[in-house]
Amino acid sequence: MNPEKAPIIQMKNIEKHFGSVIALAGVSLEVFPGECHCLLGDNGAGKSTFIKTMSGVHQPTHGEIYFEGKPMSFGDPRDAITAGIATVHQHLAMIPLMSVSRNFFMGNEPVRKIGPLNFFDHDYANQVTMDEMRKMGINLRGPDQAVGTLSGGERQTVAIARAVHFGAKVLILDEPTSALGVRQTANVLATIDKVRKQGIAVVFITHNVRHALAVGDRFTVLNRGQTLGTAQRGQITPEELQDLMAGGQELVALEGSLGGTV
Amino acid sequence: MSNAPTETAVDERVKSRSRFREALIRPELGGMVGTVAVFTFFLLFAFDSGMFNSQGMMNWSIVSAQFMIIAVGACLLMISGEFDLSVGSMIGFTGMMIAIFSVTLGWPVWLAILTTFALAVSIGALNGFIVIRTGLPSFIVTLAFWFILRGFAIFLPQVIERKTIIGGIKDVAEGDWLAFLFGGKILTGVFQWLGDAGLIATFTRGTREGQPVVDGIPMLIVWAIGLIIFGHVLLTKTKFGNWIYASGGDAEAARNSGVPVNKVKILMFMFTAFCATVFATCQVMEFGSAAADRGLLKEFEAIIAVVIGGALLTGGYGSVLGAALGALIFGVVQQGLFFLNVEPSLFRVFMGVILLGAVILNTYIRRIITGER
Amino acid sequence: MTSLTKKLALAAAVAATPLMAATTASAEGEKYILVSHAPDSDSWWNTIKNGIALAGEQMGVDVEYRNPPSGDLADMARIIEQATASGPNGIITTLADYDVLSGPIKSAVDSGVDVIIMNTGSPDQAREVGALMYVGQPEYDAGYAAGLRAKGDGVGSFLCVNHYIVQPSSQERCQGFADGLGVELGTQMIDAGQDPAEIKNRVLAYLSANPDTDAVLTLGPTSADPTILALEENGMAGDIYFGTFDLGGEIVKGIKAGVIQWGIDQQPFLQAYLPVVVMTNYHRYGVLPGNNINSGPGFVTADGLEKIEMFAGEYR
Repeated sequence: MNPEKAPIIQMKNIEKHFGSVIALAGVSLEVFPGECHCLLGDNGAGKSTFIKTMSGVHQPTHGEIYFEGKPMSFGDPRDAITAGIATVHQHLAMIPLMSVSRNFFMGNEPVRKIGPLNFFDHDYANQVTMDEMRKMGINLRGPDQAVGTLSGGERQTVAIARAVHFGAKVLILDEPTSALGVRQTANVLATIDKVRKQGIAVVFITHNVRHALAVGDRFTVLNRGQTLGTAQRGQITPEELQDLMAGGQELVALEGSLGGTV
Repeated sequence: MSNAPTETAVDERVKSRSRFREALIRPELGGMVGTVAVFTFFLLFAFDSGMFNSQGMMNWSIVSAQFMIIAVGACLLMISGEFDLSVGSMIGFTGMMIAIFSVTLGWPVWLAILTTFALAVSIGALNGFIVIRTGLPSFIVTLAFWFILRGFAIFLPQVIERKTIIGGIKDVAEGDWLAFLFGGKILTGVFQWLGDAGLIATFTRGTREGQPVVDGIPMLIVWAIGLIIFGHVLLTKTKFGNWIYASGGDAEAARNSGVPVNKVKILMFMFTAFCATVFATCQVMEFGSAAADRGLLKEFEAIIAVVIGGALLTGGYGSVLGAALGALIFGVVQQGLFFLNVEPSLFRVFMGVILLGAVILNTYIRRIITGER
Repeated sequence: MTSLTKKLALAAAVAATPLMAATTASAEGEKYILVSHAPDSDSWWNTIKNGIALAGEQMGVDVEYRNPPSGDLADMARIIEQATASGPNGIITTLADYDVLSGPIKSAVDSGVDVIIMNTGSPDQAREVGALMYVGQPEYDAGYAAGLRAKGDGVGSFLCVNHYIVQPSSQERCQGFADGLGVELGTQMIDAGQDPAEIKNRVLAYLSANPDTDAVLTLGPTSADPTILALEENGMAGDIYFGTFDLGGEIVKGIKAGVIQWGIDQQPFLQAYLPVVVMTNYHRYGVLPGNNINSGPGFVTADGLEKIEMFAGEYR
């Protein structure tokens, strides 16, 4: 954490209403380049709505989004992707029947011209895929290996590597570890660590406190559409985080350790 | 924890896969094995029945080429995750429209053909548009068009000409450049030479005495080969091909990655309609007439060929070459059983068995690809 | 390994059979293929199958029956081409659409296969394609004759139940009937489809919408059987004038019961049986009748139904 750095993305007092339901009631968050910002919360806390607002799927009812210091409003997910905000969803990220390299370049296919015709540049795609996967510590049998043969953790890693390769400045990971075993989780967390060290801002959504503490630099807890506060690494214990997520019953007792941000 | 060892990424269970199973995940494999098996079988049991003389080979080649033309369209559409049940009706309808435009209305044949193509492709787009807009299964939407198009194919000629077969297209198509592109034959000189050299049989009497019994490669076969090459290159060698796979594999994931899924699907519906129209035009130009019942059941035959060729009914996986081989198997078995003197009604039994076998094999393949999880 | 050897042996045997036959042939074992345009579902063609089977048995020749499963004439053209490629002594085929079928038939004739046109087609078309002869019942003429007969019985309007509307000869029957009556065909022909329940309900619907209809004309058992049921249901059976093409078990019962006035028998048995006999004798002894053979029309009424009843659906 370098406090002199400007935040790459700032969410100020974001409110989101769905009809009469208030999903987000004024949530603020800052994410700095090179940090892993963990967003914690129980089911229904508003995590999904919040990151969908950040990635352009939803438009906030009230509140402002600053990206690299400038106010931004994303019309749709493509705007956010173009700006450099990439989301890796828990599901729906990879197509199991397609090869790793086809998945990697899905929607961003490299093209080689032969005469007037454009062809998919398989050689380049395969090369890049193998390199990127090796960087992330995955040794593929070949670039034509189907994604379906990869483990859940490896699939998440492919998706993360893909987002990074295509220039993501902010990487939003939506519960990447929730369906994974212990070892696969370790792989994904290692990947997150690698990405953060490249100077990319990571927003890591989870409801597993231990996963968050393993890689997180700062922790923000959401509950019933509100922020319960943001804590620095080392300022909070797993038990305290757990209690916060459980509903903030011991909020008062924890006020001090949360640095007065509540 | 953040220093996870890299070797954990290498899954020993993945590595243990044998080469045989590796080969199995090529979508064309089923088609290749089937083709070899079918040809071996018929070469052994039907070699002398006339199936492998020039007329016999041309016979099953044409039938297979017909299947290939509609199978290429059905294959790409199926890979993109949709079905078109209206193919057979489209064949009947477009053939009839060419006949009505050229014979009844007296338009030049090339204009009739081009107008019909435009009409067919628009209907394909409409099919796709409705599927995308309503989110209904393409099965239902195209089933509706199966009725609608067949209905028009019977209704229009009955109202206009008071009959359901319109003939006389050969006369009006005489010398038309575009008509030749669908109904003509190429390499006629080569075949005449082969006939003169005694390599293929010649007619023994009548006005064509001395001419070879097979006098050229029909454009139908040229179209089939052309469409297969086009479809194969499009699917495997282009960006758009990647989008086709992605749209059928998981439309939501593809959309998240910026693939224009709707556009891809609608274009594939249009291409399927285009293929059906090629089929119809070749048929109309060859036989010189259009009938309301042309193309019955062809939609299923196209889908069967595609499935035999290794494509998954659920989309996202398959190959044009496989579909072409599936069509070849279908054509050779259908015609070959006649040569073998098998009771014709048993043909359906054979096709059912082949189809079932192919689908079971495909399911097995998919389990391998998706890691049996 | 052994199974492969067996296969090879079998293949060798199969390959050798025609060669062996060729040395002793020309006396017996000629091969004739009958190609029809009818879909599998059309039961009327059983008589044809039985007819060629009986002729084959009596003459000592091989006979085969082929048809396009869905009734698609373009598929039928392929079947004729294929029959030619398999090198039979003769092909007996219907000429359901001259544009589609004349090419393949001419090719068969030109490559040395003799052809006889049966059932659909006309004597002129048969001559045109180079066939030996035509055996059948000219459809328009049969319809016209039936129309004249009905007119004599006082019929002025009718319903033609067409279960095979895409087959041109079916429309010729209706058109001929209308012309015989001297009325416009107009909307009096309905597309009934092939499904018995649909046919029945369409007939019921038409008759309740047009209660003044004088007569019903059906084109074969496929449309006649459900029409009988329809008339029994709405009480018109025996009251409305009912004529039909072709015979079948139910039709014969209907004629006997007085529900059906007459059936036009084109005697399909003869259309299948005679070409085999004619061709065999032509190939063996070089004798050929000098003209076409009209197998029909014959009007079957309540008189003299006994034989017909016994063999209906089999040989009649």
